Amino acid sequence: MLSRTANGLFWMSRYVERASNIARLLDAGRRMDNIPNSDEGRASEWESILIASGSHETYPGDIKNADMESVAEHLIFDAENPSSIMCCIKSARENARAMRIAVTTEVWDVVNSNWAEMRQRTHHDIVGGRLAGFLDWVKSCGFLFQGAVEASMLRDEGYCFITLGAAMERADATARLLDVKYHVLLPSTQDVGGGLDHMQWVQLLRATNSLRAFRWTYRETVTPQAVVHFLILNRTSPRSVAASIRTIVENLESIGGETPMQRMVGQQARDMLTRLESLSVEQIIAHGLHEWLTNQILEVNILGGVLAEAYGFNGPVAAEEQSQSQ
Amino acid sequence: MFNEMYRGDEVRPEYRMIQDWLNANGPDALNEKRAEAEALFRRVGITFAVYGEGGDPERLIPFDMVPRIFSATEWDRIEAGSIQRARALNAFLTDIYSERAIVKAGIVPAELIDGNEAYEPVMEGFIPPGGIYSHICGVDLVQVSEGENYVLEDNCRTPSGISYVLENREVMSRMFPELFRTGIVRPVDHYGDMLAEAMASVAPPMCEGEPTLGLLTPGHFNSAYYEHTFLADLMGVELVEGPDLFVEDNRVFMRTTQGAQRIDVLYRRIDDSFLDPKCFRPDSMLGVPGIMEAYKNGGVTIVNAPGAGVADDKAIYIYVPEMVKFYLGEEPILPNVPTWRCGKADECKYVMENLHDLVVKEVHGSGGYGMLIGPKSTKEEIAEYAKRIEANPAGFIAQPTLALSTAPTLGDDGLVSRHVDLRPFVISGRETKLIPGGLTRVALKEGSLVVNSSQGGGVKDTWVLNK
Repeated sequence: MLSRTANGLFWMSRYVERASNIARLLDAGRRMDNIPNSDEGRASEWESILIASGSHETYPGDIKNADMESVAEHLIFDAENPSSIMCCIKSARENARAMRIAVTTEVWDVVNSNWAEMRQRTHHDIVGGRLAGFLDWVKSCGFLFQGAVEASMLRDEGYCFITLGAAMERADATARLLDVKYHVLLPSTQDVGGGLDHMQWVQLLRATNSLRAFRWTYRETVTPQAVVHFLILNRTSPRSVAASIRTIVENLESIGGETPMQRMVGQQARDMLTRLESLSVEQIIAHGLHEWLTNQILEVNILGGVLAEAYGFNGPVAAEEQSQSQ
Repeated sequence: MFNEMYRGDEVRPEYRMIQDWLNANGPDALNEKRAEAEALFRRVGITFAVYGEGGDPERLIPFDMVPRIFSATEWDRIEAGSIQRARALNAFLTDIYSERAIVKAGIVPAELIDGNEAYEPVMEGFIPPGGIYSHICGVDLVQVSEGENYVLEDNCRTPSGISYVLENREVMSRMFPELFRTGIVRPVDHYGDMLAEAMASVAPPMCEGEPTLGLLTPGHFNSAYYEHTFLADLMGVELVEGPDLFVEDNRVFMRTTQGAQRIDVLYRRIDDSFLDPKCFRPDSMLGVPGIMEAYKNGGVTIVNAPGAGVADDKAIYIYVPEMVKFYLGEEPILPNVPTWRCGKADECKYVMENLHDLVVKEVHGSGGYGMLIGPKSTKEEIAEYAKRIEANPAGFIAQPTLALSTAPTLGDDGLVSRHVDLRPFVISGRETKLIPGGLTRVALKEGSLVVNSSQGGGVKDTWVLNK
């Protein structure tokens, strides 16, 4: 397969996944925003959502005073924010269009329709109690995409690069989502593990559509330790960091490594998985959750860089190119 | 004016099945089908890009549901005439880059060749595999009365539109299974095989074994990108961009996840000037550095060959009937539209005196832009245009306004008559042939003669009937 094609499929998939994950972050913020709070210390969830989504630098206002409406606008529609849902859905579609013959009609149809529908959406769709419904729609776009990929793509190299893109993005996003909880400062009167703290953990699970899965898995009340285990280490949890890294390892094996660089990226991923599998929640918390997550995000990032170099990627399809008249 | 559906007051036998269908179902049913067809086109993504005009950057080309129909006899003549023309054009191109016999014989003046922007001196003395420059050649035809066709222009570089021919058929066969079930319409879906076979037959001398084919696109921002993906998919060949390729030891390779892979025949859909920054425009990011050197050393075949554009110039067009006689020793089957050259004083005089009756075109223009349609222009417009001709007479040609045929087209309340043209796609490899059909373009505005998609033109399915 052409390196450019592999690159395009990888990024198409990453962008679809990123759009869903931005929706999950916003949903987490929206849910935390709803938690009744005492006047003395407003939880700073919108600032933390901006930091976790990596959008604090593109946000036009003062992030200390960020509120739901302005953050939602920035993360959903802002063309200046490359991670906004609009930009992600558009980039996914641009990459799919550039790799049109490498994806099935079914996959193209989903990506193209998502974009066509997103283009019709306006500010009106995310205010006045419509935000939650909108975010559900964005998440369902991701599910449709995954379904189309699973049901229609040949299980060849192209499929592996699509799966790799999603897994890489997910490993990053779940770590970032969990980090939101670190940044949300608790009012001084609240103890960690107290009522507000507990509710925030619950809302975090809800935002990842995994509260029920969590209950089925642990059959116990929501504790920080259990949530951290579920979202980082649990093998059966489909969005956990460990599950995502495992997917990366498996797909790199399927693709196979010819060059030393390609073999190296496989080895790095396997090493990362081995480390995760021998880790306990206690060790993570002893290390400091935020510090551990920061390091994990960095490592996934480095792995992505090695992968790109090993397979001759040169980044997602850009927005402008030299054109000719014909 | 000739309406292709009728002979006198009678519906021609070729169109009787359309009339029967309409009688049975009514025009509303056809309108419903049209909406359905549009949704299909939109989903497939068969759009063309329009920049700088605002609005949706990706537009659907309007599709008319009423097919344009040719009888077997009509088609035989079009087929033979188009093949003849493509053979003569290829012989001409090979000649002008080598012997120049046609210049020596005093038929075509040398300045029309050397002064031509599309002429590529780098091709001098080089004969492409099979002696073919224009492997895919579009011959634009208009009809003035039953069976009387004229060639309007030739397209020897990278003629586009074949994806519409095949997609239109696909949609029509979904919409009107009962009309196709009879087997009376000749199929067109072997185009991909025909093209792949022709490409393989012109493999470069260095190629051993089965040649690897590829299609070179400028990328997804190009207005014809859909067609590039469509064709690559149809032939099952890799769709590559310039940066995917590199040249080493006079061979061309693709960068793949499994390392370098050789490519032997490249159907390029990028212009000559962008093809090789080492040879043409040095700032081109769309091309492949060194590919011309590899080409001339027999490591790769470029389809269509660089420099083929000389033959589709409007100043050269005038000489095509003479080329047919000169190279093939045959009489031209499809005549040219009578043409006056403003570069010649006596002909220019006639043109200037009759501007109100003539169509005047820029020699190097395309796409229906920059032309004057005398009978449809105001006195001011004509005077304005006359000044442009005076400033550069050699830059213009003029033709009579032909009474172009119309074809039945779906209007708001049933069928209306609209002007049409036809572009068959002639493929040249070991043999020269074409599929029974082509791109019918239709001017959707009442009375309009301009069929270009950029100016309100649409397309139709083209049916060639079995004997």
